Formats: sequence, structure tokens, C-alpha cells
Amino acid sequence: MKRRESIFKSKLIWAIIAEILILLVCLLMRPDFFKIEYQPQTHMWYGSLIDIINRSAEITIIAMGMTLVIATGGTDLSVGALVAVAGALALKLLRWDVTVYNTPGDYTVQPFILVLFVPMLVCLAMGMFNGVLIAKFKMQPIIATLVLMVAGRGIAQIATNGKQFTTLYAPFRFIGQGSLLALPMPIIISAVAVLGVSLFTRLTSYGMFIESVGINRNASRVSGIKSDTIILIAYALTGFLSGVAGLIYASRISSCDSNNAGLNYELDAILAVVIGGTNMSGGKFSLAGTVVGSIIIRTITTFVYYFGIVSESIMAFKALIIAVVIVLQSEPVRKWMSSRKNTGADRIGGGVHA
Amino acid sequence: MEPDVILSMRGIEIQFPGVKALDKVDFTLRRGEVHALLGENGAGKSTLIKCLTGVHHMDAGEILLDGAEIRPTTPQHAMEMGISTVFQEINLCPNLTVAENIFVGRQPMRYGQINWKEINRRASELLERFSIQIDVTRPLSYYSTAIQQMVSIARAVDVRAKLLILDEPTSSLDDNEVKRLFKVMRDLRAQGLGIIFITHFLDQVFKISDRITVLRNGRMIGEFDVRQISKLDLVSRMIGKDMNEIFNLKRAEQKRGASVAMSAEHIGIPGKVEDNSFEIKEGELLGFAGLLGSGRTETAEILFGVTKPAHGTVKVKGETVRFNAPLDAINRKLAFCPEDRKKDGVIADLTIRENIALAVQAKRGYLKPLSRKEMDSLADKYIKLLSIATPDADKRVGELSGGNQQKVILARWMATEPDILILDEPTRGIDVGAKAEIQRLMLEMCGGGMAVIFISSELDEIIRCSNRILIMRDGVKAGELPGENCTQPDIMRIIAGEAVESA
Repeated sequence: MKRRESIFKSKLIWAIIAEILILLVCLLMRPDFFKIEYQPQTHMWYGSLIDIINRSAEITIIAMGMTLVIATGGTDLSVGALVAVAGALALKLLRWDVTVYNTPGDYTVQPFILVLFVPMLVCLAMGMFNGVLIAKFKMQPIIATLVLMVAGRGIAQIATNGKQFTTLYAPFRFIGQGSLLALPMPIIISAVAVLGVSLFTRLTSYGMFIESVGINRNASRVSGIKSDTIILIAYALTGFLSGVAGLIYASRISSCDSNNAGLNYELDAILAVVIGGTNMSGGKFSLAGTVVGSIIIRTITTFVYYFGIVSESIMAFKALIIAVVIVLQSEPVRKWMSSRKNTGADRIGGGVHA
Repeated sequence: MEPDVILSMRGIEIQFPGVKALDKVDFTLRRGEVHALLGENGAGKSTLIKCLTGVHHMDAGEILLDGAEIRPTTPQHAMEMGISTVFQEINLCPNLTVAENIFVGRQPMRYGQINWKEINRRASELLERFSIQIDVTRPLSYYSTAIQQMVSIARAVDVRAKLLILDEPTSSLDDNEVKRLFKVMRDLRAQGLGIIFITHFLDQVFKISDRITVLRNGRMIGEFDVRQISKLDLVSRMIGKDMNEIFNLKRAEQKRGASVAMSAEHIGIPGKVEDNSFEIKEGELLGFAGLLGSGRTETAEILFGVTKPAHGTVKVKGETVRFNAPLDAINRKLAFCPEDRKKDGVIADLTIRENIALAVQAKRGYLKPLSRKEMDSLADKYIKLLSIATPDADKRVGELSGGNQQKVILARWMATEPDILILDEPTRGIDVGAKAEIQRLMLEMCGGGMAVIFISSELDEIIRCSNRILIMRDGVKAGELPGENCTQPDIMRIIAGEAVESA
């Protein structure tokens, strides 16, 4: 009796179906939607599909960490604020002289290596702070990460004295606007992040341990797993990845924006994970699913723009489509669909973990 | 029907997913009696009470209250019909006054306002019926646990109760407070109230109750008059006889001159295990007997570092150890199959392969993962060795039967090649065949030089397998017997507390 679970029971398949449907509607409205062109001046491929993946990079990167956090049974609300912190710190280091010179230029005040690593390490430390509150002090994840969700933007404001710095420093702008292998840099960076996290969970036993802790923390502890450390790593990694996403965001706009950078990213990242088929109650996770989830969210946004909907109502429209996707993925609908396919013969294996 | 019957429950059945929690249980309560409801944990006592108070709904059977059929739907509904319950934990608000606590939710009103004078007067009157004279305007937390317990009984009785259910009311009381509670119970009995008394203190049962109903595994074992049953008889009925004496297993030969594998001196956590000491040699099987809740599991958890002891020392191979987490114990070559398979044992959504590899992997740390090949060979080896019934190692453990789940956990620990193995109720709730296999494995491992601590409620399997038997009662080591030539009555006598320390 191999796993003969109906393919329609998998959440991921519904996510992919939803994605294809949305893309088809886009194609109907714009026949050139799938067209991809190589532009020799910028050495980059252009097209709506490339653009969707490019623009989804920040959420994809953050959602890699979020997947692990949710697999432990937790959640991280601070990621959006950490995006703002990373951007603020990077711009602060680039424009340390801002009181002296006010026109942005192609230079950096502090060494570029600091511009890159200080924001990432600070975000890593903030992620660890979340992890310590949750793993050691047994705080509820929503409450614990709420602290930095609120405080993070304040820290970003302090770092930049409430100012919005701008830079024209080419290496920094390259992160979000440059290209490598004819693809936009954010795509390359998010691919590295996806690959890195996948390898980390597969080549070490971390993936198995995190699922084990998410499914049954007690039994995992009795089996000798240091669940505290496992949980701490998940939050620290999410903090770090939020830092990376923050650098990409800041580089895209060549500036920092403590109020709006990464706004609502926590919700998009959680949504990407959930659409990807990872359960909010923890346990089994799917990084591939999360990537699909993140791309879906971005596709919907693009779709909404193409519909020519006034920007004020975009959020409502986006929410509507997401609601449809989530209902499609819900337990009753999947059961109903799979029972239609299998004429109800195949019952779900018993003893489902409570 | 006898005229003095208040409550009569007939053929009660309750089905939980996968288990029959109550199977045709009868229960009769008369006016003016204290009726003890006895049975080990999981026997169905609280399910029966919850059925009566409308928390669980019965699948079959009938309940007659004063001759009329009732179907309680919610605890509130049951209370309105005169069924009052006082739970183990005090369900009152410590920051409100005593009087407020008694009348909260049904305050006497006058001119649309709460009539405080009336509340306080009636509260004092009520408590005086229990010969308690206290200032009812003080907050409840001002008074001792016993008084608080009385207040909750007073509240329960004042809602025009016909019958009162006391669920483990004495577990947080000291001797004097228990005496006081018993006096109140006698008074209420004299007033014609029926009282259902649930406790695991057998002495108290014999002191206060008139009749006893014993449940075991969801079935009613019998109803007894307290004057016509001995404590020993009662214990044997609660535990039940095991039927699988067909299996002819021989206990492992105790090697001479084997060194001590592990020892414990006066370990304990107040309220759970008061005082337990023992030592176990290599290749020895030490049985832990005693009723559930006597501190056997808690002792095992201390030994394995699941909980830290408040006092006492644990030594492994002569060296004093202090485990902060189970991983420390695993590194000292200990292994522990916990009592609650679902809660502390299996990771239901992971595969058999992953479940078996878990402890070995935990010991290695996550940076040194087992290769897929190593995991496969580990899984295959133990699936074969323990004859785990599964087509392949990819099956989710949650889909296996209880016996096979237990074998997976056993495999998890055998894979770590421990020197000391602690098994807490490894044969509970599994079928007879799997039971015999697990006993056989345990004895084989013992024969191979492993020290095994075997906790079980089934006396015959303890006697059959153990070299020595340690008996616990109320958190204290009550005695120790050699496994050979030991009989069930020997152990029961110690469990019941009739004999003093032996051997």
C-alpha cells in the first residue's frame, strides 16, 4: 500500500492550478502577456513573467524563513519591519555624510562590505531576539514578534533620524536593479536563498527535526531533540533573510523608507507559505510550495494592475482572489474533489495527528 | 425500584474515536449515601461523571433522576436539575469575597441592585451549616485550601442539589483538612443528599463511603458494600487479572557479580514522587509496580531528565549525573519509552523511517545527518527484527496500530544501543500477540546485558519478567520483592498498604 493519495488532495496542485488560471486570464486580456524579449542594451530578458518573478523576490526570500517558522508551529510578524531596518541601516552607512552633502552621488562613505553585512547581521540578531523570546521564554510567537514589528520601524527611524536618504552608488543599486546571467539580480538572489534553505534542510537533519518539533514538541524533546535550538534557528534565519530582502528593496528604490518599506510583507509571506500547502499548525512543510505561493501573490497583483483597477481598491481585489484560492485549497473542497475522482472509495488514512 | 434511589444510570455507553470509553455501565446512587467510584486512570470514572454532568453525551443507555428520565446537555443544564459537581481544582475566583463566590451569577436583587446585606447574611448562614464561622466579606484567597474547598462545596450544595459529585476533593488537603471535609460530607449525608466520591486514596474510601462501584477499562466490574469487601480484594478488582498467562517467558538469568548500572537515592519532586531509592545492575530487569499515580512514571521521568528532581541524586555507573534534558541522558546511553505513546512518543505525521532514526539523529546532532542509506538500513533492520507490520518504511506512524507504534518507539531506542532502558507501560493498550513480543524483546535485551526498568500495571507480567520488583504507593517506595517466588497477593498487599516493609 504505497501512498496512493489522490493528487487532488495535495494543496500544492491547487495552488498551481490557480496560478495557471490567473495567467490564462492575463493572456486573454493581453495576448503578448507571455512574450519574453532580450534587450541587448541592458543585457537582460524582459517580459511580464520575468517581471512577476523579479518582483516576488523579496517575499520569496522572506517566506523561505517563514516556512520554517510556521513548520515549528509559530509565526513571525516582524519581517516587514526588519526590511525597513535593513534598508535604513544600509542607507545610513552609504550616506553617513548626509548632513554635509545633500545631493546623492555614486559613492559610499563607509566600506561597501559594511553596507552589505551590518544590515544583514543586525537583522540576524533581531531574528535571534525573536527566537530567544519564543524558545527560551516560551512567549507566544505572535506576541513576541509583535515587539519588533512595532519597534523595528522605530529603530529604522532612529537610524536615519527620520530622514529619507537617497543614493546613486552603483554597486548598491546593482543588487536590486542589475543583472546577472541575463536575469535581474533579485531573481538570482532569491534563487540562491531558495537553494540555500533547501540544502540546509535536506543536507542536514534540520528539516526532519523542525517537522518533528512542529508535529509533537513533547515527543521530540523526549527523543533527545533540543527543540529550543531548532526553534531559535528558524527565527534567526528568518531575521537574516528579511535583512537580505530589505537590501534588495532599498536598492530597487535607491533609497530607504522607514514607513513603507516592507509594509504588509509579514502577511504576504505568511500567505505565500499557507498557499504553498504548509499548515499553520506546524509540521510538514514544503519550500517548493512556498515559492509557488509567493509567485501567485505577485501574479495576482500584476493581474489586478492589468485589469486597470484604481489603485485604492487593489487590496480589496487582491484579497478577493486570494480568498478564492484558499477556499479551493480548503479541506472540504479538496475532499469533495478527490471523492469525486475516486468515487469515494479511498478514505483518508486514520490516526491523523491531532 | 427501591424508593430511596436518587440516581440510576443504566447501560451507559460512550464511544470515543477508536475506543469504547464506557461499555454498558450501571451506576446507582441512593439517598443519604456516600458512594465511591473507583478505578485506575483511564478506567472511565471521569467519563461517567462527564456523561452525568452533560459534558459528554452518551451513545446508549438511560439516566433516571428521582425516577424521571433525564438527558443532561450541558453542565449548566445538569446543575439546574440538581446535579452539582466540585472538581479537583477549585473553580472559584480567589479575588472575590467568600460571599460573592457563593452567590456569583445568582445574586439576590433588591430595587434592581445587588442586595449585599442579604448576600453576606445568607452566605454566613450557609457556612454555619458546615460549622464554619468565617468572615464572608474577606476575599477567598485569604483562607486555606480546605476552607476554599468547603466554600465550593457550599456553593454546589446551595443550588438546591440532589446529588453532589466530589472529584478528587482531598488531593490537595492535609489530614486535618480531610477530617473536616469528611465531617461536612457526613452532615450532608444525614440531610439526605447523595454523594459520589471519586478518589484514589483507598483508606479514605473505607473511612467515609457506604458503597463502592469499581470500573475497569470502561466496564463496570461490580458494586460492593464497603463492609463486605477487603482492601486487597478491591485492589485486585481495580487492576484486574491478566489473561495471557499462556505465554511461557523465562526471566533473564541474573549474572553474578554484575556491576551497578544505575542508582537513585531519595529522589523526588514534592506532590509527585516523595522518596524513591533503588539500584539496578547490568543485565537486570527491575519491575516497578504500583497503582497509576503512585509515582512510577514520575520516577522514570526524573531518571531520564524529562523533569528535574527537587531532591536526591542519580548515579549512572557510579558517577553522579544531573540531566538538564533527555539528550543528556541519551548521551549517557539511557533510553526511555514513555507511558503516553501519543503525547510523548510517536511523531504521527513522520514516516516509520524518520521515527526510528530520530533518537540516533538527535544524538549525532543535526549537522551530521544520517545518509538516506543509513536511515533505510536502520529502518529495515528494526522493521524486520521487531516484525513491525508495514509494507514499507514510508508509512506514516500515525497510521499504524498501537502495538506497531510501540514497536517503532522501541526500535527508536534500540537503534541508539543503550545500556539502560526504561519502559513505561510498554504493553498497555496493545493486543495480546504484540504484548508477548515486546516482553520477549525486553527479556532478550536484558539477557544481552542491558539494565531494564519495566513499569507496568499488570502484575502478572511484572512477576513473570522481573528479577526484582519495586513497589510504590502514594509517591513513596513501599517495598521491594524478589521476582522469583513472588505472587500477586504479595504485591497487592504492599500496594494496599496492609503489610509493612518487606525484604
